[in-house]
Amino acid sequence: MMTALDPAKLSVADITSGFAAGEFSAREMVDAAFEVIEQRDKDIHAFLELTPELAYAKATELDEARAKGEPIGPLAAVPSGFKDNMNQVGTHTTCGSAMLESYVSPYDATCVANIIKAGGLPLGKLNMDEFAFGSSTETSYFGRTMNPWDLERVPGGSSGGSAAAVAGGLATITLGSDTGGSIRQPAAFCGVVGLKPTYGVVSRYGVVAFGSSLDQVGPFGKTVRDVASALNALSGRDPLDCTSQECTVDFTANLEEGVRGMKVGIIPSLTFAEGATPEVRQAVEEAARNLEGLGAELVEVDLPHVEASLAAYYVIGPAEAFSNLSRFDSIRYGHRAQGCADLVEQYERSRAEGFSTEARRRIMLGSYLLSADAYNTYYYPAQQVRTLITRDYVEAFKKVDVILLPTSPRTAFKFGEISDPTSMYLSDMFTVSINIAGNGGISLPTGPGVDTGLPTAVQLVGPQFGDDVILRAAAALETCYDIPRVAPMCARGGE
Amino acid sequence: MPLTEHDVRDIAAYTRIGLTSDELTQMTKDLNDIIETLAPITRYDLEGVPPTFHPIGDLSNVMREDEPRPGFDTETALSNTGSTQDGSFKIPPILSGGDA
Repeated sequence: MMTALDPAKLSVADITSGFAAGEFSAREMVDAAFEVIEQRDKDIHAFLELTPELAYAKATELDEARAKGEPIGPLAAVPSGFKDNMNQVGTHTTCGSAMLESYVSPYDATCVANIIKAGGLPLGKLNMDEFAFGSSTETSYFGRTMNPWDLERVPGGSSGGSAAAVAGGLATITLGSDTGGSIRQPAAFCGVVGLKPTYGVVSRYGVVAFGSSLDQVGPFGKTVRDVASALNALSGRDPLDCTSQECTVDFTANLEEGVRGMKVGIIPSLTFAEGATPEVRQAVEEAARNLEGLGAELVEVDLPHVEASLAAYYVIGPAEAFSNLSRFDSIRYGHRAQGCADLVEQYERSRAEGFSTEARRRIMLGSYLLSADAYNTYYYPAQQVRTLITRDYVEAFKKVDVILLPTSPRTAFKFGEISDPTSMYLSDMFTVSINIAGNGGISLPTGPGVDTGLPTAVQLVGPQFGDDVILRAAAALETCYDIPRVAPMCARGGE
Repeated sequence: MPLTEHDVRDIAAYTRIGLTSDELTQMTKDLNDIIETLAPITRYDLEGVPPTFHPIGDLSNVMREDEPRPGFDTETALSNTGSTQDGSFKIPPILSGGDA
């Protein structure tokens, strides 16, 4: 059925109010969303699996509830998608890996369940770097995802499918996970908004673990308000994740309050760090001027130990990944090598066949870092450095309300342009420190870069559990930019 | 001191990842390149600095009442495995040459 609905052009508020007012049915929204996906996703490849039966079942439930005058939920009829490391009953949850190619989830991740409970329409599962190890989505076993702004470039990663789906107009709200920048960096590359909440704001139950003390689930959307609406549905204590926290904040309540009187921390030594391109620096400087123009006060702060973040991250992350990925033993689920003479051979062949090179590297690195000598040289000191980085942020947030940083050192790169692992790891240089400290951060698009014409972005970081403050600052800053959030090549009618 | 191929073979065995000899050589190079970038960790005076193993400082262990809750039935629990027998996971012999 042809519909006049174009979900790519609609915000969460447009959709929920239009649906509530009877302008369209949830079923029509599902029709429209899959029509868009059919047209565009053959070029983008954001989705690994489409779930029309689940989307239509939810649509029927919503249409019936609306007809009866029953509650329909704050995300009613919002086209949604989930990173493929999130369990959803009856769907494949592959983590972009051959290891889980045939795994079908027997249960729902809490974050997935919360979006659907709030009325979100589950369209499908989104591509990612294998086990979230990467910054480009090139390492997915099921093929790469293209950046909707330039199909020859990466969407970022690891949540590249989630970012590209929003930038391509394929979904209104998508979920990603962020262990070292995996929501914020692809949001920056794809010109959309991506939020990594404070550790503990969103339950991690049912999300395949990478670094358990670093991982956090968060939403992508076209606007700050869309992302805040999604966070309302996602946040809160979950008895199934003992690190999740009570949360009664309405993240949309203060978005209009502006930044007048707010103190915004700037860190010239970081903005001008080696590796950041001129257009990235320019985007940060322009954002600082814009915030000042809106009435914020710029205050220079220092985070002296943040320079060690990347090294600390590449100790802590692999160590935790080594531990988490030991569960892939080929017995209960996951790839199982055939014709093995004994159990050890089955372990070794299954894990060699199931894990790609990068996953093997991180597992083996983590194992090494937890061995006796390396533990004393790297692992324990990295956890001490983590204390210093956390203290830096605590001290900085005594002086300022939010901190302005670049999100990524550069705009989206071409496929294959970064091939060695240590160069790829530099993609995380501005994002990892808040995973280490546990704080929240948001990536906000700031328009085309002066040199590449590709989306640029800035990052606003808050104190722990200051997610409402960064959303408020981002909402104010967002008003300074009149930029499309859906890539023009993907806009309907060849706009 | 950089890792040798012998070290990396031991790590591969410990992590149960079977590598070919070419893969072992490349992995040894990759791991040594990565470990080199971890040097900043060793440059700080960390005397007396406590470690942070978890980002949220005042969390304590949360114990629930020890009451039974619904779980997977056997069929669901076995639904993703490659080999079953009599409602159990079936694996190859633990010792080579034994019976399955």
